[in-house]
Amino acid sequence: MAHGHKSTEKVVYVGDSRVRKGTMPNTPVDYTAFPGKSEAFIPNFLLKEWMVGVVALVGFLALTIAHPAPLGYPADPTNASFIPMPDWYFLFLYQLLKYPYVSGDFVVLGTVGVPGVAFGALLLAPFLDTGKERRFYKRPIASGLLILSILACVYLTKVSWDHYQHQLEINHVTPEHIDRANKAREAYEAGQPRPNPIQQQGAAEVPIVDADDPAMELAATCLSCHGTDMKGQGSIPSLRGVGDRLSEEQIADIITNGQGAMPSQADQHTPEEIDQIAAWLAKQKAEAAE
Amino acid sequence: MEEKERTYMPDEERQREATHQPVRRREMSRRQFLSYTLGGATAFMGVGAVLPMIRFAVDPLLMPQAEGTFVKVVEESSVTDEPQEFRFQINQIDGWYESQPELTAWISKGSDGTIFALSPICKHLGCTINWNTQNDNQYFCPCHDAKYDKDGKNLAVAPNPLDEYEVEIREGVVYLGPLKPNTRV
Amino acid sequence: MFKGIYNWIDDRLDITPMWRDVADHEVPEHVNPAHHFSAFVYCFGGLTFFITIIQILSGMFLTMYYVPDIINAYASVDYLQHKVAFGAIVRGMHHWGASLVIVMMFLHTLRVFFTGSYKAPREMNWVVGMLIFFIMLGLGFTGYLLPWDNKAYFATKVGMQIAESVPYIGVYLKELMQGGEIVGAQTLTRFFAIHVFFLPGALLAMLAAHFIMIRRQGISGPL
Repeated sequence: MAHGHKSTEKVVYVGDSRVRKGTMPNTPVDYTAFPGKSEAFIPNFLLKEWMVGVVALVGFLALTIAHPAPLGYPADPTNASFIPMPDWYFLFLYQLLKYPYVSGDFVVLGTVGVPGVAFGALLLAPFLDTGKERRFYKRPIASGLLILSILACVYLTKVSWDHYQHQLEINHVTPEHIDRANKAREAYEAGQPRPNPIQQQGAAEVPIVDADDPAMELAATCLSCHGTDMKGQGSIPSLRGVGDRLSEEQIADIITNGQGAMPSQADQHTPEEIDQIAAWLAKQKAEAAE
Repeated sequence: MEEKERTYMPDEERQREATHQPVRRREMSRRQFLSYTLGGATAFMGVGAVLPMIRFAVDPLLMPQAEGTFVKVVEESSVTDEPQEFRFQINQIDGWYESQPELTAWISKGSDGTIFALSPICKHLGCTINWNTQNDNQYFCPCHDAKYDKDGKNLAVAPNPLDEYEVEIREGVVYLGPLKPNTRV
Repeated sequence: MFKGIYNWIDDRLDITPMWRDVADHEVPEHVNPAHHFSAFVYCFGGLTFFITIIQILSGMFLTMYYVPDIINAYASVDYLQHKVAFGAIVRGMHHWGASLVIVMMFLHTLRVFFTGSYKAPREMNWVVGMLIFFIMLGLGFTGYLLPWDNKAYFATKVGMQIAESVPYIGVYLKELMQGGEIVGAQTLTRFFAIHVFFLPGALLAMLAAHFIMIRRQGISGPL
């Protein structure tokens, strides 16, 4: 197969293998041969890159220590009060789908059309922008389109985030991972063990006491958040067995004044009704149910 | 290698070359044959190894759909004109995982007095809707502000009306079955 | 001693030219922040790679505790985060690294775009780079489900609904990704397999192509 080589050029292999013995000298080339102040990749240039890497790593570790990764409550497909939220880098797409002409009858345009065209154009940018000019200000159409798209993405992300915050506010919802962290801290400060959401699910199986009590009718307003089965949902606590945790006075106080994410119910019920509900809820004890 | 081949060139061909006639070989050369065989074997090895895996991966697509059964949900008398949220348990088989998850239905009486049950799954992107959270007697989806009227008709953002559960009423009790497209709009 | 071992291997495999090619190649002045401070924009590609390495390592270690099963997934994440020493840090690195890798890759893409570095002869490398970007987004999407908390579950449901809206093939696409009619046990195992084996495999192949092309074509010249 050694046709292409002149007979004077001798190919030397390593041992009896097919690995060619290298002809490259093992000494670095003289850099004065190159224009400008270029330098070897290792060690000269890589050291500078590594310096940037060290700074990045320190910042990164500081971030991970300062902000633990969020973890909410276990997935519950029946939880109707949860406000879904994708990761931040998908928010612009999530927000886009709210607008007319990319939702409703045109939802295909929003989920496939617009992103398809945008990402397709980005993927094929070298074949769309074929001019010789490299400076961004000398190719205004390509640069302009990209800058516009970035601004649009930033805007959409911002609107989406604000909308999410607004929804949290009007629904009196604390994001689950924050709620969990708060409860864990409160438990720690009170010297109790860290609450375990998996055990709480088991504890929710306490039957309802005195379900025929007329107060149950009044308590219908509670059920829209605490669940029609009173088992709670997501971060909203179960009302079953609530008498074990709170006294009648405490329950009446929470209903009248609200607590945490729960708004006051004073305008929904008269004080007598609240007392009636509180008295009934205070009877919700695990041992009374048995 | 090519030189070697030359020395084994058949006599017939050597004659042609001597008389300057173009060489026309209709049969496959040895190299071509080997290349085709190699290609065929490669294709067989690739397909033979990957085909079982592909069938393995798409199996859920080809599974027969499970038959829906009706589940007892609530007494007919507690259904009002105002939609109410009811939960009910179904038997669900998810691969190796069997469970009795709770589903939710918004049940109300229509203007004609028939009882109907709507699925809480928003037809826009599958979030969960809620009744009257904006005090406008509409279903509202917090994700993208989709709105539906009491019959589940899509008023904003969503492309389709809310799905309906199949409803059966036996002896004054409402039973719900599988989902179907909305029939009231 | 080490020199002896090196020479022994080099006699048999002739490895010197391989690393010499990487080590000795010229880095031009215009990308060197020591000469032009603005050249720090050329660091983002390297930082993306660095964080990708962190992601691969932390992910490998997370699977020592994580179970891709709907009963135990949440419990195992909860356990490794709160009960295992340094669990919060390792999971934190994987969680925040996922965001950071997107940020770095975005900045790297902007640098390449605005310096016109994707122009001939480097078109193919841009396309490979964009494929890496899409693979990273896929890794983000599949990884989001794995802790199996409410946020993960409902975001994935929305994603599935988006997949379903694709004309003609949408329904099949959704069912193929879900591995069933609902987001459930089979979705979690599927996403785990995609997140841990399929996409990283594709990612490593694409990264190799990306780097080989950079060495072949050299860094783009000064503007």
